Amino acid sequence: MTLPWTLAHLVVLFASPILVVGIINRTKARWAGRRGPPILQTYFDLARLLRKRPVYSATTTPVFWVAPYVLLATAAVSGLVVPLLGRGAPLSFRFDFVFFAYLWGLGRLALMLGALDTGSAFEGMGSSREATFATFIEPAVFLCLGTLASATGGATFAQMLSFHGVDPAMVVVRAGCVVALTLLLQVESARMPVDDPTTHLELTKVHEVMILDHSGPDLAAMEYGAALKLAIGSALLASLLNPFGAQSPRWVVAAANVGLWVAVAVAVGTIESTLARLRLNAIPRYLLAALFGGVLALLASVWRAGGAT
Amino acid sequence: MNLVALAGLILLFGAGASLVARRNSFRMAWPLATQFAATVLVLFVALPVLRSGVTLDAASAWSYPIEVLRRRLDPLGAFFLAWSLPMTLLGSTYAVGYLAPHLKSGRNAGAHFALLNMVALSFLIIYTADNALIFLFGWEIAAVAAWLLVIWDYRTQKVRFAGFNYLVSTHVGLFVLVAAFMILHSQTGSTDLASYGPFLSRPSQLRSVVFVLLVTSFGFKSAFFPFHTWLPRAHAAAPAHVSALMSGVIHKAGLFALLRFTLLLGTPEPWMGWFLLAFSAVSTLIGVVYTATQRDLKRMLGYSSTENVGIAGLGFGLGYLGLSWHRPTLVLLGFTGGILHVLNHAFFKCLLFYAAGAVYRAAHTVDLERLGGLAKRMPRTAVFFLVGAVAIAALPPLNGFVSEFIIYSGLLSGQAPAGIEGILLVAVAALLSFVGATGALAMVRAFGLAFLGAPRAADVHVEGDPPPSMTAPMWLHLAGTIVLGVFPASGLLLVAPVARLFAQSPAPVGDASVLPLLAPLRVGNALLLGAVAVLLVATWSARRAARRHVTRGCGYTAPTARMQYTGTSFSAQFAQVFEAFVLELRREKLPDGYFPQGEAFVHTHHADAVERRMFESLGNGEELVRGVVGRIPEEPRFSFAAGLITLVVLVALLGSHTGGAP
Repeated sequence: MTLPWTLAHLVVLFASPILVVGIINRTKARWAGRRGPPILQTYFDLARLLRKRPVYSATTTPVFWVAPYVLLATAAVSGLVVPLLGRGAPLSFRFDFVFFAYLWGLGRLALMLGALDTGSAFEGMGSSREATFATFIEPAVFLCLGTLASATGGATFAQMLSFHGVDPAMVVVRAGCVVALTLLLQVESARMPVDDPTTHLELTKVHEVMILDHSGPDLAAMEYGAALKLAIGSALLASLLNPFGAQSPRWVVAAANVGLWVAVAVAVGTIESTLARLRLNAIPRYLLAALFGGVLALLASVWRAGGAT
Repeated sequence: MNLVALAGLILLFGAGASLVARRNSFRMAWPLATQFAATVLVLFVALPVLRSGVTLDAASAWSYPIEVLRRRLDPLGAFFLAWSLPMTLLGSTYAVGYLAPHLKSGRNAGAHFALLNMVALSFLIIYTADNALIFLFGWEIAAVAAWLLVIWDYRTQKVRFAGFNYLVSTHVGLFVLVAAFMILHSQTGSTDLASYGPFLSRPSQLRSVVFVLLVTSFGFKSAFFPFHTWLPRAHAAAPAHVSALMSGVIHKAGLFALLRFTLLLGTPEPWMGWFLLAFSAVSTLIGVVYTATQRDLKRMLGYSSTENVGIAGLGFGLGYLGLSWHRPTLVLLGFTGGILHVLNHAFFKCLLFYAAGAVYRAAHTVDLERLGGLAKRMPRTAVFFLVGAVAIAALPPLNGFVSEFIIYSGLLSGQAPAGIEGILLVAVAALLSFVGATGALAMVRAFGLAFLGAPRAADVHVEGDPPPSMTAPMWLHLAGTIVLGVFPASGLLLVAPVARLFAQSPAPVGDASVLPLLAPLRVGNALLLGAVAVLLVATWSARRAARRHVTRGCGYTAPTARMQYTGTSFSAQFAQVFEAFVLELRREKLPDGYFPQGEAFVHTHHADAVERRMFESLGNGEELVRGVVGRIPEEPRFSFAAGLITLVVLVALLGSHTGGAP
């Protein structure tokens, strides 16, 4: 990746969380018939939090204040692996998607430990749920990414996600992956219908309940890290849907990606406005859909291999 | 090679001296000093072998059944020796501190430390033997020594039972191994391992039988599912350093033996690879489900051994497939990943067991439901356990991730023949990711509940961090875990010469496909650690101004420590999905009436459902069969199914008899 593209990638990476959250909130406001907050509202919120003094529970240990920064660091490094602007990423290597998935795992671990450190029953509840959902979504994601890797012959995110022409089997593979990655996005960044980011009832929360005790810069790191994961997840979906492949000029691919990125954010906002949250014990069943998506993709890849030989 | 024999003699001498010494300090000093000397001697021999890849052979005359005592130190044996002996020494050092309260009250340390020496001696024998009888001899020393070490607290009936359970299991495994050796002996007329090569490298029905027998026996040794049932009991009953050595070091002998015979096997048939892969996949899956639901910290770590040998086995299975498909890259990735995982597991599992031992020493319990808030009382132990937990959950930047990354890259490399094989490998990768996520759940649960939050039980008093003799081994294991993870190529220094043996290419062609794979990981790790450091420094001043307050109770003002999530509740939703495997045993007396009087309690415990059902059906097989047979005439569905099965069996028999079936 050339230097200008790397710089562009970094700028987009660190600006995107604020914009993606802004677009989602604006979409939700429009569905509700409101004007909605400014697109940059998240930035103002973060700036306000950064000026504040944190408050720590007397029960906590250093794990509590290290956790937000581990979460943020994993999200930021994982953003270097994903082809945000299509074709290539600053840190692209063979099987980088395994590194990506495990980085998110580390972030999740930090989040859960930070929550458990407060000794609060609510936060224990949140981390138990987060850990359980993660075990259901992870195999689906690997089924999909593994299938993409073997179907496209690529081993990096950039190669796997880039468009390889219209081929019926490949379309099914990609469709399965879109399903699985959408569900990953919903679980990992706590969106509807898995989790309601705006609920006020602690008993029904997953992600929000784990950061109840964080405040000041720590809370800012948590919020920004979560938004970063949301933006990166949306970017993954966008590059998967991107119809411009290796033949198109680079800027076209990048522009299409950014356009689709906005579309994904609007879709997330729309889903959030039109769907109700699932009951908690229905979520494992809902996550099975991701597994089905993965299996579908896997079977389609055999069909494709069989057709090729 | 003579130096290795000398090391053996030194170890024997140390064991003897420890038995006859008059004071406990000498009883401990002799074994430690002799183990140190032996370790230095062995490293002096083993490291050059690893570096040059040259195999050392030695033979000497011996009495009747053996006649020529052949010893052989190839990179495989040298690799296992290079970490087994130092880790045994660390374990013995840990024992000095761990057993101190017992020794103060007058227990004789002689036998225990002598046995630790014998364990080290058994490694020398197993890893250098080139003769089946000598191999069995070492195997038996390790088994009996481990048994005697487990029952240190033999006055407790539970401990004796756990020890006996282990003794029986390990000997069932031994019988299977002896059976395999008898077949080999009958075919070759020799007891030299090397002479089995020609027979084992020719496909035949007998070779398949020997392979299955060997895998079964080594599965017993390394606690693969379903031969793991002794393991959680023994690990919960044994002193922490014995659990650590058994799980991290002694039982790796099973994997070593599997690798040793793999070298003799030539080109395996594809079904062998699939067999190994399926066996390991089931082990790692069942192991991790139990790891996530146990409430006893040491039992939990025991189950996680089953999970981790399964992961190493996945790597070996992949290597087998690579051998039978003639894909050198796959061979290299599979075996490198598997062997590296063995080493990594030794590092972090011992660390975790030592930390759990420190918890036991300080709190006198390892029950997750009764612990909590330990990080405040034992900050150093908390760091040890946390690092071990992150490593065993296979998360970057620690070492568990490196070996799993190599295995993933083998599974997803697209080297399999197109079609069903490729799919199966991707499915195995998905399974491995499930194991990873569940392992993370288990470790968050263990660390979060035991070390974070507030103490759960008022009657548990915690003494504080352990003495230096216990922390020093932990520091070294911690350093190994971090170095092998942050610098992923460092593990390859040790593992690459071994993996090259399997790739059957003397030239380091193979390294080319593993090293470049790992180099970017170092960049990723550096970025990650750098980012965390920068963020923490940047927010330092804000944090110094922080205020302290109570945990937010969401409006409730009188929370107690008992309201925190417990081990059972943390994994309740997960266990619900896997209730077929995880049997919840519940004893409860609930409060009744509007104004309940008297005590109420709920006591839950997750039992090994597979073990129970398996032994139940083995023990009462007759009755089970009779029950099913009795229902056949009663229910039309049953009789229809029975008729159909009989028909299929008959047709199959006829077909195979007349040669009609292909």
